[in-house]
Amino acid sequence: MTAFWSYLLRRGLASLVAIFGVATIVFLMVRVLPGDPARVIAGLLASEEDVARIRVQLGFDKPLYVQYGIFLERLAHGDLGVSARTSAPVIAEVGERLGATLELALVSSLIATVLGVAAGVVAAARPYSIFDYVLSMVTLFGVSMPVYWLGLMLIIVFAIDLNWLPAAGADQAGAIVLPSFTLAAFSVAIVARMTRSSMLEVLGQDYVRTARGKGLSEPRTIAWHGLRNALIPIITAAGLQFGTLLGGAVLTESVFGWPGMGLLLVDSIFARDYPMVQGIVLTFSTLFIFTNLLVDLLYLWIDPRIRYA
Amino acid sequence: MTTRSRRLSVAVLALVTGCLLVVAWSVAPAAAATFRIAVGIDPDALDPVQMTTTTVGNMVDYVVETLTTIDATGKVLPMLAESWTVSPDGTQYTVKLRQGVSFHDGTPFDAKAVKWNFDRLIDPAVRVPIRAPYPIARTEVVDSHTVRVTLKHPYAPFVGALSWTTSGLVSPTAADKEGNTYKDYNHLVGTGPYTFKERRKGEMVTVEKNPRYWGRKPYYDTVVFRIVPEAATRESLLLADQVDLIILPPVADLEALGHNAAVKVLLAPSDRTIFIAINTTKPMLNDRRVRQALNYAVDKDAIVKNVLFGAADLMDAPMASSLFGYCKVGTYPHDLAKAKALLAEAGVKPGTALQMIHPTGRYVQDKESTEAISGFLREAGLEVSLQTMDWPSYIRTITTPVDKNTTQLHFLGWAPAFLDASQQALQFLSTYAPPGGLESSFYKNPEVDRMIQAAEREPNPARRKELYCDLSKKVWEDAPWIFLWVQRFPIVYSAKVTDVSSLPNEKFYALYARPAR
Repeated sequence: MTAFWSYLLRRGLASLVAIFGVATIVFLMVRVLPGDPARVIAGLLASEEDVARIRVQLGFDKPLYVQYGIFLERLAHGDLGVSARTSAPVIAEVGERLGATLELALVSSLIATVLGVAAGVVAAARPYSIFDYVLSMVTLFGVSMPVYWLGLMLIIVFAIDLNWLPAAGADQAGAIVLPSFTLAAFSVAIVARMTRSSMLEVLGQDYVRTARGKGLSEPRTIAWHGLRNALIPIITAAGLQFGTLLGGAVLTESVFGWPGMGLLLVDSIFARDYPMVQGIVLTFSTLFIFTNLLVDLLYLWIDPRIRYA
Repeated sequence: MTTRSRRLSVAVLALVTGCLLVVAWSVAPAAAATFRIAVGIDPDALDPVQMTTTTVGNMVDYVVETLTTIDATGKVLPMLAESWTVSPDGTQYTVKLRQGVSFHDGTPFDAKAVKWNFDRLIDPAVRVPIRAPYPIARTEVVDSHTVRVTLKHPYAPFVGALSWTTSGLVSPTAADKEGNTYKDYNHLVGTGPYTFKERRKGEMVTVEKNPRYWGRKPYYDTVVFRIVPEAATRESLLLADQVDLIILPPVADLEALGHNAAVKVLLAPSDRTIFIAINTTKPMLNDRRVRQALNYAVDKDAIVKNVLFGAADLMDAPMASSLFGYCKVGTYPHDLAKAKALLAEAGVKPGTALQMIHPTGRYVQDKESTEAISGFLREAGLEVSLQTMDWPSYIRTITTPVDKNTTQLHFLGWAPAFLDASQQALQFLSTYAPPGGLESSFYKNPEVDRMIQAAEREPNPARRKELYCDLSKKVWEDAPWIFLWVQRFPIVYSAKVTDVSSLPNEKFYALYARPAR
């Protein structure tokens, strides 16, 4: 077996162990939280008798080790159980929302990467210029501005005042625009700063000076010799941001009524819907692990000198 | 072909295409009128027996109907039942059903359908959180349009309870269709003025006009309930004319919205009482003088004006005025001198510590109100410390049995499902204290207990009302709560529509909304 496939196999096995570890930790953590899921789901007006009945129906009356055994047995068969609130299979509930979350995270990542890299490259090409200072201010704004406030401001301007875009929901044309720009604001700043510093380091190298000395045009020098060699840390930052965007979309989803998994996760935690919390965290973990693997594989493509043993 | 003739051909083609488009546009059917409502809750279930929140019940009511209903004053009226009689012992209800009604799938609405629904309502295999108001022993079919319901014990509010969405009637034939099962009936098939079209979880529920509805037909062809958790965003949607009606906007914006000519604000009366429950078993708090002092110390009027922006009415009884059984009892006006005198009389020294816990974001301005209340109590000489926690933890804390319960004061709201004092009175029934229920003040007055139990079984409405009035006076004097206010239910809708009103159980009533002229 080649080193590459051996590396993939080892990463795959390590990922399974990580997912199992996450599953166990989440199983225990949600059950440690105070609160009775049966009472929360049934509401204040339910009688104690009906709450007790619901507790039995949900299986939360069983000892912890029995619940864990049932959970592992189901997991081995790819079954994430049934939502305590909706009685629907967790896989179905997650499946209904996963598309919206992935769409939001992917579009936000794309915006963050394109805008961030472009801004970082220009800032590095003209260090300490007016553009560079403006970029510094904009990135500071991006990392500092609360998502909640930024989202509402964008709604006021583009939905109420200009009536160009929908204020909420995911069903109308253009609905992705405001939530994706809101979510991307923080990541644009991170990617832009990372790109700028990585590019500055690379543009100061001897081979870049040689390329310029040979008469290569500035744009070609920056793009071919500069950016390509600066990509590794940029891709690392962008990849990590995707993971952050997956899990950090809760506030954005709440502000824009975006039907994603982030809001479902928060609602499930507050309702102590254990199976749903477990299912969503497992899904996020799997996606994050997969993203990290993809980033590592991208390194191979970008830099042929890298070899995984 | 020459250039000139080519240009002429193009012009003719464009002219013909344009004409065809104009004709197509003019004969195209008018777009169906859609009414768009933004709500803050994504339903856990649409199944009438499983739903627990009023907003979800509000949505379900468009599709599923009940035997009785309530009007804007809270009076119980016939709906799918035409009339009913009650046996002298109060345990048997003979109900005549409305004739000529069908479910949306064509199944006749009859006594068999009602029996199926009520049997399901009491079936322990089905999750029914609010089953307690339906102590049904059995349901019998007397004839095609008459049922006899026998209760396990007399329960005077039963007819009122039949107006609540939990007892909504769905087609038995559709129980195994469209993804429905006997235990989970979420693709609704009812008798209502709208039929269920689709639900996109986390996004919207859509219903369409029922052309064969037995009653008055609504105006709008389609109603869309958009799920928008954030109050500020709901308000934005309305101001951007992207929805027609919202509920519960940010309360601080009510004044500005009231001045906005594009929208109308309706501060609807509700049945939700907001109070500070006092743990009457704790030292000092077990003294009625102390509890009364706490009531005199808090300037509720100031809080309603400045923290709630007028969106509440002060309590003058231990229940909302919209409930059957309400009678005005009195007030606890803000009187700091009296509060201090009562505390001194009870031997409470200035600087005595008290702990108050509250949820955050569960009720309108709950955190802000509690902070204001603690300020007033400090003026009376008490050192109040505040603590908050998430809702499940909060419920667990306040429902810990009395021997382990550490709470002293806690902020809570209580809204009966149907407009009867029976569910409100549970808050003063000692057998309903944790772990048996949610009477979280652990208040115990044997005479009040007796009156509550008697009122639940009393068949004579006038006598029932008397019992609730008498027990209200006793509870008011015993003051197991700091009686705060009855929350209003803000509904804001576009000035382009009319005929929007409310029901006093936190429901908007827009079934017959139509465009304003």
